[in-house]
Amino acid sequence: MREASVGAAALLLLPLAIGDYWSYQLSLYFLYAIAALGIGLCWGRGGFLPLGQATFFGLSAYLSGLALIAFEGSAWLVLLLPLAALASGLLAYGIGVLVFRARGESGPYFSMITLALSLLAYQVANSWDSVTGGFNGLKGIPGLPGLDGFTAAYYVAAVALLSSLAFTSWLLAAPLGVLWGALAQNERRAVLFGFNTNQLKAVAFGVSGLLAGLGGALYAPQQGLVTPQLCGFLLSADLVVWTAVGGRTRVLGPVIGALAIGALSSELRARVQFWEVLIALLFIAVVLRLPQGIVGLLAPLERRLGRRRHRGQGLEAPPHLEPRQAPRLVVDATSAHVGEVHILDRLSLELDRPGIYCIIGPNGAGKTSTFNLLTGELAASLGRVLLDGVDLTGLAPHRIARLGVGRKLQIPTVFPELTIADNLSIALWSGRATRMDLLRPRLKRWSNPILAELRQRYGFLDDTERKAAELSHGESQILELTMALVAEPRLLLLDEPCAGLSPEETAGVIDVIRWASRRLGATIVVIEHDMSLVKELADTVYVLHNGTRLARGSVAEIQADPTVRAVYVGGEK
Amino acid sequence: MDPLLITQLVNVAYGVSVLALLALGLAIVFGLLGVLNLAHGEFVMIGAYCAWLVQGWHWPFLAAVPLALAVCGGLGLLVERVLVRPLYQRPFDTLVATWGLSLLLRKSAEAIFGLDYRSLDVPLAGTVDFLGATYPLYRLVLIAVSVVLLAALLLWYARSRTGTRIRAMVGNIELAQALGIPVRRLAAGTFTVGSALAGLGGVMVAPLVTVQPFMGLDYVLQSFFVLVVGGLGSALGLLSGAAVIGGINSVVSAAVNNTYGYFTVLITAILFLWLRPRGIHARG
Repeated sequence: MREASVGAAALLLLPLAIGDYWSYQLSLYFLYAIAALGIGLCWGRGGFLPLGQATFFGLSAYLSGLALIAFEGSAWLVLLLPLAALASGLLAYGIGVLVFRARGESGPYFSMITLALSLLAYQVANSWDSVTGGFNGLKGIPGLPGLDGFTAAYYVAAVALLSSLAFTSWLLAAPLGVLWGALAQNERRAVLFGFNTNQLKAVAFGVSGLLAGLGGALYAPQQGLVTPQLCGFLLSADLVVWTAVGGRTRVLGPVIGALAIGALSSELRARVQFWEVLIALLFIAVVLRLPQGIVGLLAPLERRLGRRRHRGQGLEAPPHLEPRQAPRLVVDATSAHVGEVHILDRLSLELDRPGIYCIIGPNGAGKTSTFNLLTGELAASLGRVLLDGVDLTGLAPHRIARLGVGRKLQIPTVFPELTIADNLSIALWSGRATRMDLLRPRLKRWSNPILAELRQRYGFLDDTERKAAELSHGESQILELTMALVAEPRLLLLDEPCAGLSPEETAGVIDVIRWASRRLGATIVVIEHDMSLVKELADTVYVLHNGTRLARGSVAEIQADPTVRAVYVGGEK
Repeated sequence: MDPLLITQLVNVAYGVSVLALLALGLAIVFGLLGVLNLAHGEFVMIGAYCAWLVQGWHWPFLAAVPLALAVCGGLGLLVERVLVRPLYQRPFDTLVATWGLSLLLRKSAEAIFGLDYRSLDVPLAGTVDFLGATYPLYRLVLIAVSVVLLAALLLWYARSRTGTRIRAMVGNIELAQALGIPVRRLAAGTFTVGSALAGLGGVMVAPLVTVQPFMGLDYVLQSFFVLVVGGLGSALGLLSGAAVIGGINSVVSAAVNNTYGYFTVLITAILFLWLRPRGIHARG
């Protein structure tokens, strides 16, 4: 906080030191920096790269310019300019919903569509003469009423930048920001906790559009001229370069990039012949060698200043948003296939009372596929999956998770770059946090009795600020299991929870599963190969073979079953 | 038939085959290596500048072909080694890195050739009477070259030993490596061929468009949309994608204007992402 106030004060006093010319130059780059902040948010935190951010800068600049011309001097402008920024934000959000829903990925498709948008926006601005003024743009845009001169322009831009910085930092520190970081690292894990990641990414893109829009809305009165170049790929590309070089993973990075590289370029572009080529080389070098950018170089300094905020504990997590009761799960003659390969063949399961069910079967029997079916990641071609009479087939995975279906994956999947505390928090928010909750910092203090009891067992969970990436394999398994449990699902799917654990760790996990089954009153389904563990755990065993059910019964019944013996030639352990 | 209609039909055929030719390099690199080379358009641009240079030196136009193949192929080889190879397992970083490369190539072209729009004399400037319509000879040759090139490449990929090895590499890289297939060299070769083909495309279209440093952007986007619509990994996909994107673009641009043509292409691509995320003809 103290550093922030010092920085803000320095920014506000700066014009006295650097004079009118540089103040004027900087005030333009303040606006670009606001747009770059949005790219940092999407790319550095959300893990997807918008390549056409100028679309939103330009759109808002045109809207703001048109409003300033139409209502010159009117006080209403104070309301209209934010609306221009909002329009950009909404457009970005809409595009985000459209693209991410189409294809939940964050790679080339999103980037290419945003790039295409900026080329389209340029063409529209360039050819729609009657509104945009065509190639020459909107000219003679009046300034903001009552704010004339370079100094006023500087202060308007500086205050806008400071507010945007504060807003972005606040968002990134909020649960929403934690979730953005989480989905960038492992989107599937976030979905399995019931988060609509496509929606969350669209919101991030919407916010970035809003920020670009704010920059654009202030550009029009500051510069008095809005041309099609403002929507085009050149500015879009510059914004990405500045963000990367400054450092996309920290909130200050894009700002420093825009101010250092941007403002410097405006001076040196014309004087140094290969300046732009050098900048492009610098960008490539940063991508290959220095993903943290310039700000990353300051990281040791930051650590010296040492400022890990202490997070309070012990705010009881609220009950789930959806009512919870003991589940009744029926898989009714369900088939599924991928391409030509039949994975599940009229599989039927009835899990009608709480307890521990084990699924066993040879490799390729369809065990993990059954879990994928239950969590909505594998589509059924035939049959129904009923949870308390609600058909799950066709529901999106995050919706199913919200109904109280939890899952631990075979390979431990946690969010490696997040702290243990953040990993656990995400699990606690699962099914409990409303959309508005995700903006409330106090969610980070949520805890529940299950977590408290597991902390008693596993001391390393108290090492809250440690990154999950630093955990051993065994600890990661335990962390993921803990996360699955503290979400308090009513149907919990555990895919080989003891894989790769030592005998002692295994015994501990078996104990925890039995404890959790009683404690949560949940139905727990375990995929397990080791018959000795199955004996310890299972109330009921299902044997799968070739995607269908071979047998069901108690461990003793299964072991006596001749068809089961036939499948396991010689039997398993 | 109405000569005007014939002309329009040949126009569409021209648009589609040129688009297929331009998208070919991107399709090879993205489809086989999983690397979306955002600098693909810049290789096209460099090819076009090769043609412009050759014409400036008063060499025969065909001399531009080996020049572009050498320049773009050599550049592709270098880029694969320095930029792409370290990032094969990180597709997102490749995207960013090749985007940076596109920036670098664009800015270099700008520094070397300036921002001026260059135009070339059309070789084979004559026209032919074609089913009652008059059509520029060069465009017809271009259609023929695209078709022959695609067919030859396809045949080679299906029949040759190297083609088989590439298919093995695409199918299962670890297994291919274990069988002693030199996957690194194959990948480098594939990237080089893709880049060289982009350069060839640039030479071919250069006489018909304005040559300038930013021309590549449009080509990489169009090529990408061809792949989105057509699907990856098959020649049929490439052709159907080129037919849809090229067809829509030429029809809407002719009927209304370029902006609408562009807009329709973008909407089509987004619709395909929604409704057929794997395109018309996906592999396997």
